[in-house]
Amino acid sequence: MPSATVNKPRPSELLSRLTSAEPEVKVRALREVKNQIIGNRTKKLSFLKLGAVPAVAGILADSIDDVTENNNCNNTNNFLVQSAAALGSFACGFDAGVQAVLDAGAFPNLLRLLANPNEKVVDAVARALRMIYQSKLAPKYDFLQQKNMEFLISLLNSEKETVSGLGASIITRSCETNLEQKALFDAGILRKLNSLLEGGSLSQRDASLESLATVFRNNPEVISKFAGPEIGRPLSSIIDLAKDRYPRTRLLACMCLIVIRNASPHFLQDIGIKTKLIHILLELLDDPGQVGDEAPFAFSSLIAQKEDLQKLALEANAIDKFHHHIKKGSLHPRRYEGILLALADMCSKLESCRSKFLSLQVLNLVADALTDYNAGVRAAACICLKSVTRSIKNLSAGYFMNETIVIPLVQLFLDPSTSVQVAALGATSNIVVDFTTRKSIFVQCGGMKQLVQLAKSMESSVRSNALWALKNFVFQADNRLKEGVFSELTASLLSSLIRDPEPSVQEQALALVRNLVDGCINLIEFVFAEDGLILGAIGRQLQCASKAEIGIQGMYALCNVASGNEFHREAVMQLLFTQMGDKNQSFVVKFLQSNDSQLRTATVWTIVNLTCPSSPGAPCRLEKLRNAGIVSQIKNMVNDPCVDVKLRVRTVLGQSMAFGDN
Amino acid sequence: MSLFWIVIRRLAEIEEIMATSKKVITREEWEKRLNDVKIRKEDMNKLVMNFLVTEGYVEAAEKFRMESGTEPDIDLATISDRMAVKKAVQCGNVEDAIEKVNDLNPEILDTNPQLFFHLQQQRLIELIRNGKIEEALEFAQEELAPRGEENQTFLEELERTVSLLAFEDVSNCPLAELLDISQRLKIASEVNAAILTSQSHEKDPKLPSLLKMLIWAQNQLDEKAAYPRINNLSNATLEDPTV
Repeated sequence: MPSATVNKPRPSELLSRLTSAEPEVKVRALREVKNQIIGNRTKKLSFLKLGAVPAVAGILADSIDDVTENNNCNNTNNFLVQSAAALGSFACGFDAGVQAVLDAGAFPNLLRLLANPNEKVVDAVARALRMIYQSKLAPKYDFLQQKNMEFLISLLNSEKETVSGLGASIITRSCETNLEQKALFDAGILRKLNSLLEGGSLSQRDASLESLATVFRNNPEVISKFAGPEIGRPLSSIIDLAKDRYPRTRLLACMCLIVIRNASPHFLQDIGIKTKLIHILLELLDDPGQVGDEAPFAFSSLIAQKEDLQKLALEANAIDKFHHHIKKGSLHPRRYEGILLALADMCSKLESCRSKFLSLQVLNLVADALTDYNAGVRAAACICLKSVTRSIKNLSAGYFMNETIVIPLVQLFLDPSTSVQVAALGATSNIVVDFTTRKSIFVQCGGMKQLVQLAKSMESSVRSNALWALKNFVFQADNRLKEGVFSELTASLLSSLIRDPEPSVQEQALALVRNLVDGCINLIEFVFAEDGLILGAIGRQLQCASKAEIGIQGMYALCNVASGNEFHREAVMQLLFTQMGDKNQSFVVKFLQSNDSQLRTATVWTIVNLTCPSSPGAPCRLEKLRNAGIVSQIKNMVNDPCVDVKLRVRTVLGQSMAFGDN
Repeated sequence: MSLFWIVIRRLAEIEEIMATSKKVITREEWEKRLNDVKIRKEDMNKLVMNFLVTEGYVEAAEKFRMESGTEPDIDLATISDRMAVKKAVQCGNVEDAIEKVNDLNPEILDTNPQLFFHLQQQRLIELIRNGKIEEALEFAQEELAPRGEENQTFLEELERTVSLLAFEDVSNCPLAELLDISQRLKIASEVNAAILTSQSHEKDPKLPSLLKMLIWAQNQLDEKAAYPRINNLSNATLEDPTV
């Protein structure tokens, strides 16, 4: 088939023309490259691979030299404009392009060209730089250097929108620390941004809103200085922009206000502004473009962890609106993810929200999202499930332990993305806390075996979350289920997990043992399997526990073991008194003296079980404890500030007096 | 007892009269009131200039500026650039239009995937219209397919357009509307709006909003009064109230 596009040169041909000696050929090739890559990500990639970026950067550099030598002005400007535009397009929304432009050394040349007398050159260069600064790969701008600050001020003061826009985007990208924020404030930058808010064009207002939000983030001091009396009432100009006719401006204004709210307890706390923000963001969901995609994320940042706002949002029918949007289907993945995360935040604390969610049948739609092709959506669906399954009422009714949810969820255990795996495990951890007899469904669909597999994962977060799910699964489960888990896990795996390098994994492993041996006396035999592997591991881990939580779970595990028979209690005693090096002190005393009240409680409980009056070996054990100074330590805790500790201490002392204390 | 019912009936009649009778305003009264409202000439000039500029009537805008002294709120030079783009699309020279837009501001097509896709789609339609089927196939494969891969929302539209290639007689197929001139005008309008927005100019003129406001206000007033109405917007004549 003959090619009909005879006048279209192949990319490699174009590239070679870029190095042509004839300026006419060169500039035409340059323009052609630019026109082919604009809007076309695929072409950007293919030209990139052919080495187009260094070639174009070279043309830019050569043209700068021509400028300084005052050669043919028009031609030179044309080269400058086209090469800058091409570089800008390579960098536009395309990280590989940004990296290539930086690697080709074009950045300093672009900066120099900002001072060029020709307007079109300056526009093209400013745009290219702004594209670079929209990427995470942009070079860090050091605001703390005086001349850098002056340069930034000159950019913001420029009458050209492209240049002042560049200044704003540098701030938005590079301003990170409180120190930098303060430096920007001290240099009067905020005043300048505020004037752009009130008197600037649409793009200047938007850019200004983004920069202000960056400078305000987590900095209550700068916020109160800005909102203070000297600059009039600048917060009101931002509030007005939240009602602007352009959706993007409304969104950016809301985001700025949310940043202010979250950083500073003094501003924007009245119910009027809270309600307004909720309504505006919910209404922005109707925007079909990028604004509507980002609106749910802004909504999340507004309500996350804040019950009062969640309540207001519930009254504003937020859940209905989100439901309505998901139902429509064929959502952009970013929007889908945002809405799911917003629903997760809504249901994270309030049962009223969860009830509303479940009554609207949103659960089925979320279950569908578990199989979406986009990883972010899948993870968000799991996070949403985790929030909703906090509903104890529905957990107890066995509402979630059904195949529509469990089967796709278990499939996600094998997801290629770690974050999806961890999110799925998080949701599972809640669902398996099922007080009905339906836990077997989870075993039937292979969930339990999968969890054990994941406990061997290379990723520590996956290991610890898998153990967490198993821990919840065996919580008050029947013996048969527990035996099933234990035989799948094996004593050697469990003991090695107790001794895992990661503290979070150790903690969950010990908690799992605690739940496994809780209840029936036969289950306690688990810790003695294979020559007491698990018991030994617990003992060794308690001696070098790196944080209180490990001690707590370990002691409760021992406490449960000690609730068995004499043999069990003697084994625990032996563990408590194993010396490590030349320490005379058992870790028991250390735990009893801990600042953590839960650790003290768990330890005293264990002593309670060891000295239970009905057991024949109790007096002997009590003597040993007395000799080790443990009893006197406990006596000192009679007035412990924690009630739980105080009560258990009294029990121990009561029990010791039954054997005749002196 | 019957007196009671007579009074009730009478009250109901009075209420009915009050509900249906509206205040009547004669033409004389109305015109007098209108005369009392002051409008500044500068404001009207600005409205006219805004309309001419937004719609892209460069020469008219220039002349109007000279004759009335009204300054446009946008650089007239940029209008001609914008109009060249619009005209290129309306004539079906999409490739030319794309090059012109990129010369004006390369960011527009780089940050507007939907617009870019529509322009590419139009290029395909023009190739099909001119019977260049092989070229159209190649173009669809090389240029449009990647757009569909990059963004799933375009796939449906893409499939519709590409299926044009399956018809022998394109002018009679179910998708014939794509070949209609109105499609070009739609895209031309889309490009025009994108360019205006990139120049921080509003993409719609103010005049239509004013007229909409007028119609709405009259509708509201209709419930309360009978008055001389403007029923024909193009000549704005007052028509006597119907009583």
